[in-house]
Formats: sequence, C-alpha cells, structure tokens
Amino acid sequence: MLKGVLEGCVLEIISREETYGYEITRTLNAIGFTDVVEGTVYTILIRLEKNKLVEITKKPSEMGPPRKFFAINDAGREELRKFWEKWGFVSSKINELKEKKQ
Amino acid sequence: MNFWEKITGSDMTKEFKSFESRVKKLPADYQAAWKKISANLWPHSDFTGRNLMPIFDGVLGLLEEAAADGQSVQEVLGDDIKGFCSALAGEEGAKSYRDKWREQLNNNIAKKLGK
Repeated sequence: MLKGVLEGCVLEIISREETYGYEITRTLNAIGFTDVVEGTVYTILIRLEKNKLVEITKKPSEMGPPRKFFAINDAGREELRKFWEKWGFVSSKINELKEKKQ
Repeated sequence: MNFWEKITGSDMTKEFKSFESRVKKLPADYQAAWKKISANLWPHSDFTGRNLMPIFDGVLGLLEEAAADGQSVQEVLGDDIKGFCSALAGEEGAKSYRDKWREQLNNNIAKKLGK
C-alpha cells in the first residue's frame, strides 16, 4: 500500500522544484519515512519516467558521474492532482471509520 | 547492433566488459552488492539477456552516484535486494522465462478445455 502512496509523495516533492534521487530520499526521511532508501525511490522514479510524468535532464555534478534531475510536466501535474483527490477521499473515509468506532 | 553481433551476442559481451570495468571502480561493499543484484536480476532475463542491459546500466549509474556521495550501500539499497530487483525488472517490463512458462501453461489448459 505504501508504494502507491510513496509514488504520490515523490511526485509532490518533484513538483516543488527540480530535484534528484538522493535529495528526494533525504526529504522523505526528514518527514518521517525513515526506512525509505534510495533504491526504493529509484524504482519509483523509473516508473514515473516510463509513464511520462516527469522530464529528465542530466547535469554534471562537482564530483562523480552526472546526475539525473527530475522535473514535473503537465501530465505529472494532472496525475498529482488526482492523487491528492484520491488521498483526500481515502483519508476522510478512514477518519470517519475511526471516529464511529469510539 | 549488426547481424553478426545479434547472432553471437558480441555486442553484449562488449557492454558487459564496460560494466565490469565501471564496477571495479566502486568501493568493495558496492561491488558485493552489485554481485548480488546481478545474480537476482538474471531470473528476469529473456532468452538473450538483452532486456537486462538497460537495467544493469541504470543500476550501475545509481551505485556510482551514491558512491560519489559517500553513502553506504545499506543506505542506498536497504536489506531487501531481492525485492529491489523484482521491482526493478517489473518496472522495466522485462518479461522473464517464468512469465513465458506461465503463459504457455495457461494456453495449454485453455486448449485442453476446448476454448
């Protein structure tokens, strides 16, 4: 279940500013997804790329090989909007359920 | 890829040699992880293994970037390398032997049932 949610989170992070894998992982760790590793983010990024929701540029880094930078495109923005809509629905329903119980 | 390369697979041998030389430049723990990853990816190979080449290239890129950042392998891949590999191969849409067998089996059963 977390995987679909993470995909939305990654897209949200990319939508704020152009970024790369390592930075995305750090952002996720910082907000509390501590066991998310770069490998997980990597597979999500591949899927986003395959579904043409992001634009990719390769930029040289100060050290080591060039990095892949990700920026959101229009299809990605639309997907992100749908994601938050779905999320809003799911979370409101779950909260409803939780409150009924008590 | 020309005909000769296609038949002999010499293009892949070449590519693999370049992978290996890139791997040699990585820290020791990364090299160990690479071995594990390649072992776990081969079951997703098609007949020639050509479908895996772009995946290998991508993973190696990830390892190189992470090593340059000075991260540990554990930080990058976690402890579920198998899961990582199947997610990876699944995403790339690499059809494996197993998928083919499954398809064949399904077809055979459908035939036997006269559909």
